[in-house]
Amino acid sequence: MDKWKKFKESYFLYSFLRDPVAIVSFIIFLFLVIVSFSAPLIAPHDPYDTSTISIMDSEIPPVWYGEGDDNFILGTDSQGRDMLSTMMYGMRVSIIIGIGAVALQAFLGVVIGLLSGYIGGRVDAFFMRLADIQLSFSTLMVAIFISAIFQTAFGVGKYSEYAVPILVLIIGIAEWPQYARTVRASVLGEKEKEYVEAAKVIGFGSRWIMFRHILPNTLSPVFVISTIQVANAVMSEAALSFLGLGMPVTKPSLGSLINLGFEYIFSGSWWITIFPGILLIILVLVVNLLGDWLRDVLNPKLYKG
Amino acid sequence: MKKIFCLICTAVILISAPVHAKTVNLGVAADPIALDIHVQLSGEMLAYSHLSFDPLVRWTKDMKFEPRLAEKWERLDELTMRFYLRKNVKFHSGNIFTAKDVVWTVERLKKSQDFKGLFEIFETAVAVDEYTVDIKTKKPYGLFLNMMTYLFPMDSDFYTGTDENGKPKDAIDKVAATFANTHESGTGPFYVTYREQGVKTVFKRFADYWDKDCPGNIDELIMNPIKKDATRVASLLSGDVDFIYPVAPQDYAMVQNRKGVKLVTMGGSRIITFQLNQNRRPEFKNTDVRRAIVYAVNNEGIVEKIMKGEAVAAGQQGPKGFGGYVDELKPRYDLKKAKELMKKAGYENGFECTMIAPNNRYVNDEKIAEAVAAMLSKINIKVNLKTMPKAQYWNSFDAQEADIQMIGWHPDTEDSANYSEYLVMTPSKETGYGQYNSGNYSNKKVDELVLACQTETDPDVRNAMLKEIETILYNEAAFVPLHWQNLSWAGKDNLDIEPIVNIMNFPYFGELVVK
Amino acid sequence: MFAFITRRIIQAVVVMLIISFIGFTIKHHVGDPVRELVGVSVKASEREALREKLGLNDPFFVQYKNFLKNAVRGDFGISYFFKKPAAQVILEKAPATLELVFASSILIIILSIPLGTYCAIKPKSILSRLIMGMSIVGVSIPVFLTAIMLIFLFSVNLHILPSYGRGETVAVFGGLWDTGFLTIDGLKHLILPVIALSSIMLPLFIRLIRAEMMEVMQTEYIKFAFAKGLSKKRIWFVHAFKNTLLPVITVGGVQLGIMIAYTILTETVFQWQGMGFMFLEAVERSDTSLLVAYLMFVGVLFVGVNTVVDIIYGLINPKVRISGTK
Repeated sequence: MDKWKKFKESYFLYSFLRDPVAIVSFIIFLFLVIVSFSAPLIAPHDPYDTSTISIMDSEIPPVWYGEGDDNFILGTDSQGRDMLSTMMYGMRVSIIIGIGAVALQAFLGVVIGLLSGYIGGRVDAFFMRLADIQLSFSTLMVAIFISAIFQTAFGVGKYSEYAVPILVLIIGIAEWPQYARTVRASVLGEKEKEYVEAAKVIGFGSRWIMFRHILPNTLSPVFVISTIQVANAVMSEAALSFLGLGMPVTKPSLGSLINLGFEYIFSGSWWITIFPGILLIILVLVVNLLGDWLRDVLNPKLYKG
Repeated sequence: MKKIFCLICTAVILISAPVHAKTVNLGVAADPIALDIHVQLSGEMLAYSHLSFDPLVRWTKDMKFEPRLAEKWERLDELTMRFYLRKNVKFHSGNIFTAKDVVWTVERLKKSQDFKGLFEIFETAVAVDEYTVDIKTKKPYGLFLNMMTYLFPMDSDFYTGTDENGKPKDAIDKVAATFANTHESGTGPFYVTYREQGVKTVFKRFADYWDKDCPGNIDELIMNPIKKDATRVASLLSGDVDFIYPVAPQDYAMVQNRKGVKLVTMGGSRIITFQLNQNRRPEFKNTDVRRAIVYAVNNEGIVEKIMKGEAVAAGQQGPKGFGGYVDELKPRYDLKKAKELMKKAGYENGFECTMIAPNNRYVNDEKIAEAVAAMLSKINIKVNLKTMPKAQYWNSFDAQEADIQMIGWHPDTEDSANYSEYLVMTPSKETGYGQYNSGNYSNKKVDELVLACQTETDPDVRNAMLKEIETILYNEAAFVPLHWQNLSWAGKDNLDIEPIVNIMNFPYFGELVVK
Repeated sequence: MFAFITRRIIQAVVVMLIISFIGFTIKHHVGDPVRELVGVSVKASEREALREKLGLNDPFFVQYKNFLKNAVRGDFGISYFFKKPAAQVILEKAPATLELVFASSILIIILSIPLGTYCAIKPKSILSRLIMGMSIVGVSIPVFLTAIMLIFLFSVNLHILPSYGRGETVAVFGGLWDTGFLTIDGLKHLILPVIALSSIMLPLFIRLIRAEMMEVMQTEYIKFAFAKGLSKKRIWFVHAFKNTLLPVITVGGVQLGIMIAYTILTETVFQWQGMGFMFLEAVERSDTSLLVAYLMFVGVLFVGVNTVVDIIYGLINPKVRISGTK
């Protein structure tokens, strides 16, 4: 109860309620999350149940066109899957991969960045060279490597079952250095400031100083990056799917739906790309807008200063 | 305002239009891997061979033999064929083409890793005089002339000796910049003036070309490899190139409806199939299960929807027009029958299995695999599908990593027996037969018939044997036949595409007429 | 300074060793190069003979040892597809990518600095809100979607700009560098890829510069400067902007990695014949020597740029001492 009261009086909620963009973004985001996670309950069709889809229903345009079909409000894709249902399921996959991968990146990146920046010396050199190595291997190479190992270990058949955690792992591992280096750079800037010196003099341990004092002050750039990292993660996933290393074709994500539709964009079946494209842009946009707002609120300097 | 814009447009077109030479910009999926025509047996390489070289004989559009560098030929005995060569033919180097070039080329073909399989059967080539050559096989051989379409005489003087690095000029090497890989001298309508591999190759018309009746009127051909289907079609629509092939089925309608460009399609002989691995899955040993699967696959639906009608649904290996084609072996989609067969086999509740397919090898390969996986789920076979780029696919295919694997096949010999040799004969490391039989289907009778076909020279007897093979395969559901891919080309309206294209997909650009 | 650079070089060598090792491990998983060299109907025994000849059957460590021995002499193996030394292929393809990145960077710098600064100085103005709104939408559109839309609009429908490739290039510096900057055709081919590539980086930089600048504007010394009565312009452009640069450069260095990832996408859609396109093709063709050489090249590039960034960082912010000892 006490916490709730504290929350109600917090600057966090106060600024949220004063910012219409944040409110609208949050509502949309919440709506998208609810819709995508309740897809098995509310979607008109189940695109993962291949026995219900038929190739003869493929490329039906949205319902407002003459050739449209009431059964498929937003039309169907090249396999005859209902676009609306497939997008709901696909968005769920994209959200899980996006958030999961960014959480993993952020965790790895922040811990490594803090250690690297605060301890410095050999630790710093080690981690930063590790980041160099990581950055020269694009996500693609990491994906090839990890999926090859996985396939050797578990066989081809299991891949489609574990595609989501594998992709989280791939994208998470591939893109942590962005965080680590940004955090490190901020730590380097922060660590010489008076408040850190003061904390040291008072006798706080270095772990306490790192997490309690330096970390909050380095979050600003982390959020700038996080916002686009979700988008990046979703796009990396799309690029991987395109190369046959991402989501299996039978379980499309938003990214793989867009890629699937690309081949049809000149042929007139625009809805296969455009609908998931718009949904993806909206999803990423509201995440970005929320990220922006969060940064404004959480950055201590902006309201304390 | 609009008028002014149009005026500017016209002015731009007038300025940019070539004043003298007729140049055609070509957009292809891939360019040949080298200038040495014996370095790889592939579609791109053969298409290039027809640009800069000429074969002894070549296929016409209706699959007849047309004399090229051989003016006529006659059979001397069961093993030997005599070829009378065309006179006054010049190579690009200026050397005169004679019988010794043919002999030299046959010998080189027998050394080429890729072509020696096809030319193993030939014993010798002997020059009788300057313009007569006798070619002899080891055994009687029914496809003698078919093989002669692969014999593009090379300029033996030009390729003899050593280059500046002291390496022999005729060396066949797949991975080094040898003399033959970077230079060419053939008798063909075009010679190469510039080449940046994977970026562009420039061909100029050969002024001394022997075929004075050749209607072709282009002076320069620029070959641009454009890998992605969408980019290739966009480059035609934007006017960056004049001619593209292949065109993706989903773009057919749009190219047809667009002003200024046209589409030409033609039935092809590449069969797309799925193989059911009997060694991995005991279920697939059961003929009823295999037949149930064939009955469950609506390949006509795939042709209509995924291939946009530009393919022919198949019930057998070779298409109409091939020796082994049997009219009665039609596609057989019947879901009810499929379910009955599954019940009869005792698999009413189905089972789970794995499937792999490439995603950049055949036309719409990934989508086809996905559709088939969905169709099989209707007879309770749950398919876990994985698709991958072709570079990784062949390793997985050879290792037989999945229970159901996709394979497409186009016979180099343009003959029915070739499908069986590679796809359904009992796999054997020693003989090399059944190299792509990942279903491990094995039938003694089929093996015997295919071997008998090789030495049978009477076309009627041979065709009867080929038909028997197709019928056995059909009844036993040895594999899941899908369709024969159509070939497709698209170009600007002023290009007369129709006469130069053919079922082998080697457009005879030498004869291309630009209006 | 000297000690710093020496240490960096030693580190770079270690990095290269690790990269080459990982690259070598990966190359066994991208497929079989022999398959790409021979036709499908060629016998398995012939393929085996070729594998033997190319040394692909040697044990892993023998192959790796041979590779290292040659690499020391600058020989990274032969690209199977191009039939040339892999290093030479990369150097031939590098100008295309570098020109694309260079042109995009220019566009990004020219636009992001004034726009970002403006948004920071006048955060409440309508124009600022518009720029920020646009930039957030820009960040949210996948780069390949932008690229395809550009082709669809400007090439296929309007016929104004070419849809693929680099167009006419001219060899400069004694044939070492093929540039598209000197011909009208080359410049026309450059426009769409540059817009596509910048479309995602530009908004990012605008946002970054704005965020950092706003932070600086809140600091005591800027407030003091205002109080002292210095001219606004002087405060903005001399005092505030200088301090904004520090984090922007760091992040900019980091962004190079993302930029290279995006060049792969952009080059693929436009079939821009640069390193990214070459890399994807090498993966598809299992051109393994080229693959490993590319990884090494990118590795060198990263280590190099990071070293430079650290040096600049040290020059701008003397608090970070670049000394040999810590």
